[in-house]
Amino acid sequence: MTRKKKPSDAEIVEGLLRVYDRYGDSIALFATHIYTALASSKSLSEQVHSLRWRVKERDRLALKLGRKIEEARRAGEPFSISEENLLTEVTDLAGVRILHLYTRQFARIHTVVLKILEDQQYPLVEGPFARTWDDESREFFQTCGIETQVSPNMYTSVHYVVGSASRVPMTCEIQVRTLMEEVWGEVDHAFNYPEPAKDLVTREQLKALAKVTAGASRLVDTIYLTHGLSEGIGN
Amino acid sequence: MQTSTAKRFTIFNHKGGVGKTTLTMNIAAVLTELGKRVLLVDSDPQCNLTSYLLEEPVVDDILDSSDSGAGRTIWSAVKPIVEGEGPPRLVEPFATSVEGLYLVPGDIQLSEFEGYLSDSWIESLQRRIRGFKGTTAISDVVTALVTALDIDYVFYDSGPNIGPLNRAVLLDCDYFIVPVACDLFSLRALKTLGRTLVNWIATWETVADLAPAGTSLLPGHPCFLGYIPERFKIYAGALTVQHARFLGQIDREIQSQIVNVLRTQGPGLVSRRKRYALGALKDFGTLVAASQREGRPLYNVSSGTAGQRRLAYEALFGIAKAIDQYVIDAGRSP
Repeated sequence: MTRKKKPSDAEIVEGLLRVYDRYGDSIALFATHIYTALASSKSLSEQVHSLRWRVKERDRLALKLGRKIEEARRAGEPFSISEENLLTEVTDLAGVRILHLYTRQFARIHTVVLKILEDQQYPLVEGPFARTWDDESREFFQTCGIETQVSPNMYTSVHYVVGSASRVPMTCEIQVRTLMEEVWGEVDHAFNYPEPAKDLVTREQLKALAKVTAGASRLVDTIYLTHGLSEGIGN
Repeated sequence: MQTSTAKRFTIFNHKGGVGKTTLTMNIAAVLTELGKRVLLVDSDPQCNLTSYLLEEPVVDDILDSSDSGAGRTIWSAVKPIVEGEGPPRLVEPFATSVEGLYLVPGDIQLSEFEGYLSDSWIESLQRRIRGFKGTTAISDVVTALVTALDIDYVFYDSGPNIGPLNRAVLLDCDYFIVPVACDLFSLRALKTLGRTLVNWIATWETVADLAPAGTSLLPGHPCFLGYIPERFKIYAGALTVQHARFLGQIDREIQSQIVNVLRTQGPGLVSRRKRYALGALKDFGTLVAASQREGRPLYNVSSGTAGQRRLAYEALFGIAKAIDQYVIDAGRSP
């Protein structure tokens, strides 16, 4: 038996990227399937501002894989992603975002999303869980029956991972967040990703933006809530 | 997925008038001489193959009754799918003048099915079960017939176009063979043919990846077995200068427009033959007309000379043998 030479990190990533390339069109099509299933629901559109879908960019994936290999090595654990399980192990190769205006809409969105997934026979393979760093939000999500996790990134968002139930299994991540959080997320992504921002000023500004975002979201909630009260809805 | 072991072929070129139907019927006939049982499926709404093999009054009768429960055309078979009445119906193929050679007749109403297939394709892309059922309808019928009649080879006779019907047929085939006539238009057609095939194969692969587990699917990997130059003229035992030049040109175009293009999509899409020419068929003139009139293979017609018929047989035998040998070898080393 010949002993195989251990592949280098770059070779591992290359191999995984070949799988990504081979299934790229399928991943994109899967994302549009989930997007279409959600976008064509009238009950969802009543609660939702907009929907977006995307496929994880090749370069982003390469960086993420490189980082995961490094993390596994540092932790002394085997690297868990292989060419066989890439499509299900990296859960956000396909991604759909549901954007809404104020926090309390989420309760209804959650119910409708679960119903749509059930009707279309897409299994929920992970979640939903809410990432948040804000006590008040945590309490709200818990009342909706959603598991919460502390978000070190200072954003609030709910995640579902959906399986494709297809011949070639793959997964799609659905994220639900408010428009305000989306703004923060986009800015943070531009400066803090994939590597955290190096200079203190940017890091501080992004943290402050997170607080402003939370405040703004809270204000929108209040406006809708008090409007509801004045109409007699909140009674 | 295909469960039968019969190999499915189509002799395909969307350029019309390259002798697809004549070639299909005659290669199939010679394969029966090798002891094979062959099913011909006329998937061309123009029904040329059907008219070739069955008497005119019989054809009229078949077409008149194809909508009824007793219908025996390929349309009769898939009609329940189109009308949402259930699975495709198992029609009884016709025995032909050649022993071991069967025919599922074509139907003018296949043009209607073509529209349905176009919608089915889009629905398959949307992962709708109805779409998969429509797209695989013909394939499912053939699978059932192959088992019922213990068939070794299936040959689809396709119309001269790159529409949804031919897409469903091509993606159902294990192999395809390209007939090329000695003219400039035939050469030009190769370019669109290669590109179109790659596009179909790639799209279907994506659709199949996302198909719900357990869905009936087209195999989606038609392998280019080779080509057959046709209708070149021979004077005094030698090729005319013009046609000799064409043959070289055809070979180069096949390499660049078909072989190289398909290889970009997958290595298994091109046969491992050293030479892609499977043989050649010269212009058999009167034999062809007689063959179509009599519904018999070129080498068994009542006109022409014995020498001409022998030449035709030898040319066809060479092609059929090349096909059969390749299939046998491919079966040994998968």
